[in-house]
Amino acid sequence: MMKNKPLAAGLAVIGLFTLIALFAPLISPYDPSVIDQNHLLEAPSRAHPLGTDGLGRDLASRIMFGARISLSIGLIAVGIATALGLLFGSVAGFYGGALDGVIMRFADIMLCFPTFFLILAVVAFMESSIFNIMAIIGLTSWMGPSRLIRGEILSLKEREFIQAERAIGASNGRIIFKHLVPNAIGPVLVNATLGIAGAILLESGLSFLGLGVQPPTPSWGNILIESKSTLGVAWWITVFPGLAILLTILGFNFIAEGLKKVFGYN
Amino acid sequence: MDNLLEIRNLKVQFFLGSRTFAAVNGADLDIRGGETLVLAGESGSGKTVTALSITRMLPPNGAILEGRIRFNGEDVLAMDEESLRGVRGKEIAYIFQEPASYLNPVITVGDQIAEAVMLHQRKTKQEAGREAERLLGLVKIEDPRRVSLDYPHQLSGGMNQRAFIAMSLACRPRLLIADEPTTSLDVTIEAQILALLMELKAALGFSLLFITHNLSIAKRIADRVCVMYRGKVVETAATSELFTSPRHFHTKELIAAYEKIGRI
Amino acid sequence: MISYIVRRLLGIIPLLLGITIISFAIIHLAPGKPTVLQESMNPKVSLEVQQRLEKLYGLDKPLYAQYLHWIKMLARFDFGRSYGDGRPVLDKILERIPVTLTINVLSILLILLVAIPLGVRCALKPGSLFDTAATVIVFLFFAAPTFWLALLLMQLFGIQLHWLPISGIKSLDFEYFSFPQKALDLISHLALPVFVSAIGGLAGISRYMRSNMIDTLNQPYIYTARAKGLSERKVVYTHAMRNAVLPIVTILGLSLPGLLGGSVIFESIFALPGIGRLFYEAVMMRDYPLIMAEVVLGALLTMAGNLVADISYAYVDPRIRYKK
Repeated sequence: MMKNKPLAAGLAVIGLFTLIALFAPLISPYDPSVIDQNHLLEAPSRAHPLGTDGLGRDLASRIMFGARISLSIGLIAVGIATALGLLFGSVAGFYGGALDGVIMRFADIMLCFPTFFLILAVVAFMESSIFNIMAIIGLTSWMGPSRLIRGEILSLKEREFIQAERAIGASNGRIIFKHLVPNAIGPVLVNATLGIAGAILLESGLSFLGLGVQPPTPSWGNILIESKSTLGVAWWITVFPGLAILLTILGFNFIAEGLKKVFGYN
Repeated sequence: MDNLLEIRNLKVQFFLGSRTFAAVNGADLDIRGGETLVLAGESGSGKTVTALSITRMLPPNGAILEGRIRFNGEDVLAMDEESLRGVRGKEIAYIFQEPASYLNPVITVGDQIAEAVMLHQRKTKQEAGREAERLLGLVKIEDPRRVSLDYPHQLSGGMNQRAFIAMSLACRPRLLIADEPTTSLDVTIEAQILALLMELKAALGFSLLFITHNLSIAKRIADRVCVMYRGKVVETAATSELFTSPRHFHTKELIAAYEKIGRI
Repeated sequence: MISYIVRRLLGIIPLLLGITIISFAIIHLAPGKPTVLQESMNPKVSLEVQQRLEKLYGLDKPLYAQYLHWIKMLARFDFGRSYGDGRPVLDKILERIPVTLTINVLSILLILLVAIPLGVRCALKPGSLFDTAATVIVFLFFAAPTFWLALLLMQLFGIQLHWLPISGIKSLDFEYFSFPQKALDLISHLALPVFVSAIGGLAGISRYMRSNMIDTLNQPYIYTARAKGLSERKVVYTHAMRNAVLPIVTILGLSLPGLLGGSVIFESIFALPGIGRLFYEAVMMRDYPLIMAEVVLGALLTMAGNLVADISYAYVDPRIRYKK
């Protein structure tokens, strides 16, 4: 832990953002949605450390509440994708044959769709609530985890201890959940960590286009919508939310690097 | 007879993370013009590292700490990169254990040989190509024209090793260093390759440094044998002498191992 | 090689089937008929449009018949008409392709020109100052959302330095320019979008190239090349490069969906009339036929891209080309 610098750095950054997200209502200096006509587009100051937006709302508070959205969307979307990946991947890898063929072909097909196109198409006729966004990102990103888990299982399946377990007549379900899944956990964790970063980026892009989290709920992506019209006027609106995204993504990437070290692969 | 190669008190160290490891720890070795010297020893004894040191081909985490290597009277360790490249391939050539992985997978065998030809001789591409085919014939490959157009993965292990030998001999080196060149091959192919090497040596007159852990090969081809043990050359003797009166205990171990296999 | 191509071509049959089924499913995913949904979401949809839709999807027939009907239209590249202006969807897409294609081709060129030498340079001395600096920068680029980088670059080069325009593909008075002025105008409009769309690929491919090159430089045949007496230049650029660069072909094929998806964002930011922005507009207007056409075409394009990449790879790698 001490020697694993990337892991320590990543955990520190993500830990900080998690704390901010958890305690946003307690620690944010202002209510993120209170409009203040007297303080529109104010540069960072003692009263507003990160400045205010076009409606006079405190940017720091909005970014703090935005952390709740970004982190929870990342976490839950990846939770869905990983759960689906575990299910599809382990079934395909373990049973093989026609079932494997069908599942993996399905993954190939899904991979043909540009994820962003797919998500936008679905968003086009669904209400873009936070829950929907989590679900859509999750449902369109299980293919990577599935392939990964299937690969892990195929290679584990050949190992002696699994064959021994089979020889003494253990059921398939028992073998999958007692031996294969715990053994595949390292790569899956790394993949999930990177997946969270990816999901947060996707959400921010979606919200930036106005198709994700809807105002007035603040998300890092939709705070940045305003930055297009304030370019050259209010740099803080562009810089700070973006930095929040950048740091979070870096944090998760560092954790992934650190986990690779922990589980001893590259 | 003058020595073609002299190695004195060679010390080579490897860096593994923060630790160091002495792969060769004061080795002495001489090779005379035209002789076959077998360098024998168990794996990890420093044979390959010694061989690579001769032309300073160590991997980046290895370094020659001290010692002297003189080839043909010249100090190899004092040479600049340029003159060193003039020695590699032209004066001293190597063949390795797994020819398939030591040949570039995306270049045809003929082109790889022609490249060696052009590197140290003034020849056009066509001439070099013809020379490559001639060399493939020299190592007794049937249909050298077709084989020269093949990629390594299309050839068998024995064929690849023949092609590799052809490439190594392209510039008529004075010393051929063969690092376990038959270990990955079948016994029958091994015998063919050994016979081929001895025949080529007789015809072309190079010196041969043959590295192996298998003393039966030493008995078949060596003029003299050096035994390496834990980074040092512990015994050097004429072949017959080595087998009749081994002095170092490790030599005795190796001979015992060889005789055991011989009985099976 | 031939058998490989045949096998690969046969493999696209289930993919085609799957792509069309999933696209078809998306149309029917929403609760209620797509026509009804359209009506409720988009008040502009008139009864006439609704009837046209009914006909387009054959909604009065059973599901499998609707699917077959839709496939038939798809085979003729008939995607129906746009809700927005009533023009054929295919025409609207075709006229937008040049912009997207130009930007993506240019950005792929930029990626290859920068990422490959960068990765190789890093691989030659891993852990050196150059490598570390490049790693940090690449990591930052990798972690930053592209639309945010676009905003920062617009701010810097467009608003503060006034070097580059920040939106559109050409100036308003483009028609009156001389040829060199026109060229310069296009280049200055394309510079930021091309760079922004290249960033993700730059980061990814340079990392890939670095690790691949490090791996290749440790291969036995590299020792052989050195043992021959080749200069380090030749060892690296002939023997190692030839091997390390091959898989990039496949990676480029795999990056196609990402590029297409990304085009939605940066074409919107820079107000470029490409298919990405068209898609964005279609989503905003709930222009159903247009959305579906882009989704299907995007998937087919990705599939075709992967196919081309795989076959090219098989061709450039003799181990597959002359498989025994």
